[in-house]
Amino acid sequence: MKRRDEGSRSERAARLVLGAAVVTAAALTGAIFLYMVVLAFPLFAHGHVFRVLTQDWAPLQGRYGIRPMIAASLALSFGALALAIPISLGCAAFVTMLGRPKPALFVRRFVQTMTGIPTVVYGFVGVFLVVPAVRDVFQAGSGRCLLSAILVLALMITPTMVLFFIDAMESVPKEYVLAASALGAGPAEKFLWIVLPCARVGLITGVLLAFGRAFGDTLVSLMLAGNAAVFPSNLFHSVRTLTAHIALVIAADFQSLEFASIFACGVVLYTVNAAVALVAWNLRSRVLENHP
Amino acid sequence: MRTKTRFFAMLSIAVCFSAGAVFAGAYDVFQGMEGTIKISGGTAHIPVMQALAKEIMTRYPGIRITVAGGGSGVGIKQVGEGLVDIGNSGRKPTDEEIAAYNLKVHQWALDGVAVVVHPQNPVKSLSLQQVQAIFAGTVTNWKDVGGPDKAIHVFTRDEASGTREVFWEKALKKGPVAATADVVPSNGAMKTAVATDPAAIGYMSVGHIDASVAPVTLDGVTPSVDTVRNGTYAVSRGLYSNTKGEPSPLVKAFLDTLHSPEGRAIIEAQGFIPVP
Amino acid sequence: MKPSGRFFVLKIWAAGCALAVVSGAGLVVGFVIRRGAPALRPSLLFGAAPPWHAVFGNVPVFDGLWPAVLGTVSVVLLAVGFAVPLGLAAGIYLAEFARGRTKQMLSVAFDILAGIPSIVIGLFGFSLSLTLHRFVSPRIGPCLVLSAFCLGILVLPYLIRAVQSALEGLPLSLRLTALSLGAHRVQNLRYVLLPSSLNAIATGVILAIGRCAEDTAVILLTGAVALAGKPRSLLENFEALPFYIYYVSSQYTSAEELERGFGAAIILLAISLGLYLIALSIRHRIGRQAFYGR
Repeated sequence: MKRRDEGSRSERAARLVLGAAVVTAAALTGAIFLYMVVLAFPLFAHGHVFRVLTQDWAPLQGRYGIRPMIAASLALSFGALALAIPISLGCAAFVTMLGRPKPALFVRRFVQTMTGIPTVVYGFVGVFLVVPAVRDVFQAGSGRCLLSAILVLALMITPTMVLFFIDAMESVPKEYVLAASALGAGPAEKFLWIVLPCARVGLITGVLLAFGRAFGDTLVSLMLAGNAAVFPSNLFHSVRTLTAHIALVIAADFQSLEFASIFACGVVLYTVNAAVALVAWNLRSRVLENHP
Repeated sequence: MRTKTRFFAMLSIAVCFSAGAVFAGAYDVFQGMEGTIKISGGTAHIPVMQALAKEIMTRYPGIRITVAGGGSGVGIKQVGEGLVDIGNSGRKPTDEEIAAYNLKVHQWALDGVAVVVHPQNPVKSLSLQQVQAIFAGTVTNWKDVGGPDKAIHVFTRDEASGTREVFWEKALKKGPVAATADVVPSNGAMKTAVATDPAAIGYMSVGHIDASVAPVTLDGVTPSVDTVRNGTYAVSRGLYSNTKGEPSPLVKAFLDTLHSPEGRAIIEAQGFIPVP
Repeated sequence: MKPSGRFFVLKIWAAGCALAVVSGAGLVVGFVIRRGAPALRPSLLFGAAPPWHAVFGNVPVFDGLWPAVLGTVSVVLLAVGFAVPLGLAAGIYLAEFARGRTKQMLSVAFDILAGIPSIVIGLFGFSLSLTLHRFVSPRIGPCLVLSAFCLGILVLPYLIRAVQSALEGLPLSLRLTALSLGAHRVQNLRYVLLPSSLNAIATGVILAIGRCAEDTAVILLTGAVALAGKPRSLLENFEALPFYIYYVSSQYTSAEELERGFGAAIILLAISLGLYLIALSIRHRIGRQAFYGR
């Protein structure tokens, strides 16, 4: 393949214009990270990176660590995943293999549509339905806590995960499934021993992306998790995630270290999500190699 | 934001000097003016700002007023940086802030900060020590202060809040606030939080109190417009509107309206004490 | 081996999960509709102002959602107007002109961009406005055009991916025929490839519109406020539906306002789901093959 086509002038012009667009878009990715780091710098200079990441948040005592927020974000994401993964797996299994055709189609269409529900609506319903319910049922705290946020966030990330799982399961080569049928396997065997193992890369990718989405979500945790900047020790305690911290502290003094802390949160968020994206990209390109 | 043209500015100054002194109609002063006023800052001020904006914008569609919240810290910073025309604060800006930003401070009301609980909560009176202990987290059950056997849900404000600053200085005497308290971002949010949780306790502007929350008598003094006015309720603060340097004519007209009879009526209707 | 026993348990579990998901979403939507249905009147949008004059005249609307609806429409149109040309260009480049390592690196960059949390993008926009405010002009601050720009960044990777997979999903025969007849790359693109992938690209654009309309975190930091009236200038604050819903949830001051919040949620739901269903129906008409490329 010739690298340098003679190409007409229009092709070179096109290459130039389109290339410029691509470079601009890609540059945005880097620019965002750069801004985060530069503006977080006062905080990193004031106390070492390690200290910022491991200290507690007590601005009145001069401690600007974001450890509680990191822990809360992780707790919320893992909690939501723990709840959502089995349910999404089951739902995807129902749609692809284990359900009867008509209900399976209905569920598939329903889940596809469900991805269009805005996050703020989930949060709104959370405030007026889930928070009072948690408060009354468990009698432990104001209802604005880790648990409420986990419940709603799990529901929110489920449809995307289900669609991803369905995709992964349906990508398993039909020959394997047919071969298993020919050997006498029933739907359960086929699901457990053929589809799940073959689809595992796609499944893992789906989980990773859902984790990224949960880790980066703002509204659900801002509206439902209580926003106290303490290390999460209890499902019923109020916690503050990295994302909620940004939304809350954005209002502070532009020169202060408090303000710089939100950029530290931004750096952490960016890094974690970039790592997730890289791993997912890696997995996906490996899948494409195996299934051209 | 500047008014559209200098001509209108001079015209409005002339109007101010002539008509304003002679004729009542507080909003007539805006006759012939156009432009935008951007307001942000203290959340306690928002109802008055919105009511006034509504009056002015209905009469003069050429004037646009946008009102945002964010807290007193935001108001001061944003007006200092020139991002808004008026920065509201529920605490007096510090000398450093005034010097750094060349602020002109403009007080138009007096307001109290009251401790509030849910209306169904039988505990309606507390001593200052009890309040300090509750917010510090050392007293955690309502039964320790004469109420039912229920855990106390403490609500506090965010770091940018002037209401919080005043409460912390004058009621808590700069004592600790439990880190486990729920954080809400405005007076309105505090009201909603306390009104929907029978075991909640929080603090907010006296002007924001309505039937959905119950004020708590502090050391025998019930927070109300009267006790704040005559000074018997000590936890009080002024409501300030700050501008960077001298305000433009449009902004000055707006600030002057706060002292007019119509303005004072609005301020009183919202539960504050107009000043002067 | 107990095929029937295991099958039964698995089947029950799968059905139970499907039921949980469906009823969860149903609960959310149903709750919103039940609480917001009483609010669905013209006064939800226009408050006390007469509808005709509020829309076509100069009567300002208070206690109504019309300014927020206009604000959302404006910011979405601007955002899409910024992102679609850029996304189209970048997507075409990736599909047609990029090869090997460059293509890989660009793909990674856009995957990372897609994964950035919306609040980080909002934070970027806010700090950008601070920089511009300090070094370019004191008139610049969080405003409509900044929000539109940031929303554009938010949906850009999805648009790029949609365009790229639309073009790459075209059958090889279609991609090569014009070239074999002597046309050059740009002619091929203009007369053959792009028209054929219009459906798929349209789907991507519609999904991007939906994403912009429902986003809150970005506009929270870059210019949405609770009271601003109709959007009149690019450099001013604006109101928006999702922001209104968020604002009401934490500080409603009366039962009417809360009901309005639910009404706003219904409107936003209708817009988002409506757009989504349109996109889905287009996607189904052109078939999965063309969209996914396999």
